[in-house]
This record gives sequence, structure tokens and C-alpha cells, in this order.
Amino acid sequence: METVLRGAKKGINTTLELAKTIVPIYFIITFLNHTPIMLWISHLFSPLMGLLGLPGEASVVLALGYWFNLYGAVGAIMTLNLSVQQITNLGLMLTISHNLLLETAITKRMGAPTWLTMSLRIGMSLLTGIVFNALLSLIL
Amino acid sequence: MDIVEVFKEATSGSIYSVFQMAIIVIPIMIIMQIAEELDILAIVSKFLGPMVTPLGVSKEGALPFLVGLFFGITYGAGVIIPASKDGKLTKKEILLITIFLSVCHALVEDTMIFVVLGANGIILVLGRLAIGIVITLFANKILPEDKSYTKVLPID
Repeated sequence: METVLRGAKKGINTTLELAKTIVPIYFIITFLNHTPIMLWISHLFSPLMGLLGLPGEASVVLALGYWFNLYGAVGAIMTLNLSVQQITNLGLMLTISHNLLLETAITKRMGAPTWLTMSLRIGMSLLTGIVFNALLSLIL
Repeated sequence: MDIVEVFKEATSGSIYSVFQMAIIVIPIMIIMQIAEELDILAIVSKFLGPMVTPLGVSKEGALPFLVGLFFGITYGAGVIIPASKDGKLTKKEILLITIFLSVCHALVEDTMIFVVLGANGIILVLGRLAIGIVITLFANKILPEDKSYTKVLPID
């Protein structure tokens, strides 16, 4: 029973932590969506994002997820209107590569150089995104 | 733009998003806590030990491998330190575990976050496992054999 309580406490703490990220990002992106800035970003990245089967706005999701954390990406995803296929592809890309600033510091301590894990994760993430975009349109 | 409308949209949307995450994160944390305190992975790693050997990792590396895979990379790093201090793991094995875990960790929590958003969880789990296995097999092939045992610096 105490184990359950400790787990619940961790869960509540995690929720509060993620709220601190999701809420401000949700606000910023919602406001940006109503300004021309999001249109510019969208136009700029739409050729690259098109390879991944995603709209140009999703470049903001990838940038937030890669450098900060998954919850930042979640806050941004929630403001967009994406299909199951698009969220699955984005989910696969982001679970492979996220929170790089913090996690490459950890893997460095484990003995893997930062350039290796960083290029491996971003490279695999983009490659998987392109390949799975093609595959998922067949499966889903 | 109507600033009041946008503010309303952001407020209700963000509260809804946090609520959606809470109903998934809290039960997961409870289950993970039970698994952690019952030391379930230590028992599981005895059985799954041989499964990591094709990746070039000895069965001593199975525990940090599984802990990182299920609980997250920070926990994996936490377990790899005592394992390496006992001199049970070679430098190459630790690098292989780290390479695998860098793309494939916290399998439960990370996947659930996207399942809440509507992603297909099976594709996320199988896809990420497949990518982790392929790059680890590749790294095992190209990295030079290194029999020296090594220690990992503790994380402050």
C-alpha cells in the first residue's frame, strides 16, 4: 500500500512538472497560431516536413522535443490537428530523439561521446520518420 | 485577433492536456514503483539475461539494459555504475548498452505519452526496439574488440 502511495506521489509530481512545461508552451503556440509568425515558420519548413508527412507547423514540435523534452512537444502537438498516422510517426521520431541537452550529458557519463549519441539519435529519428511515413501510409 | 478568445482557448486547451496526461502518468508511476520495489527486473533479468548476448552484451549487462529500457536512461545509468565497479562489464559492452539505450529507453512512459495523443503504441514500441537492436548489432560489428574492464563515473 505504501508502495502505491509512493508511486502516486511520483505520478503527481511528474504531472506537476509536466504542467509547468505543457501550459506555457500551449499558451505560446496558441497565440503564435493566431499570428503570421506561425505561417512563416510553417512555409519555411514545409518542404522538409513534407518528407515526413507532416505539416510545416510540426517543425516547432520537433525542435521543442529534440532540445527540451517530450512534454514540451506534447504541449505543441495538442495545439495542432494531426491524424493518427502523423502522431504515430511524430511519436516514433520523438521517442527516439528527445531531451538531448540533458540525456547526452547522461550518456556521456556512461562513456559515449556527445557527438555520437546526438548525431545517432537525430539521424535515426529523421531517417525513421521518412521511412515510416512511407510504411505507415501502407499499414494504417 | 480576439485576445480574450485566444486566451480562453489556451486556458481550456492546456488544462485539458495536463488532465489527459495526469490520468495516464499517475497509474504508470504506481505500477513502475511496485515493479521497482519488488525488484521485479532483477528477477526478470535472470531469465532474460541470455537474450541480450546476441547484441554483444554479457548476461551481467542484462540488468542495466532492462532497467534503462523500462524505467529510463537515468535509472539505467544508475545501475550500470555499480555493475561496472564490480568489473563485470567491458568498455565495449557499456558502450553497446549506452548506444542501445540512447535510442530506446523508458519504453512504457514515453510510449504512453503518445498513445494518449492518439498514436499507435504497438508501432512505437516495436519500431523503437527494432531500431535499437539494429544499431546495436551494427555497432557490435564495427567496434573493435576490447576486453578491458572499466568503471563508469558516478552521476552527481
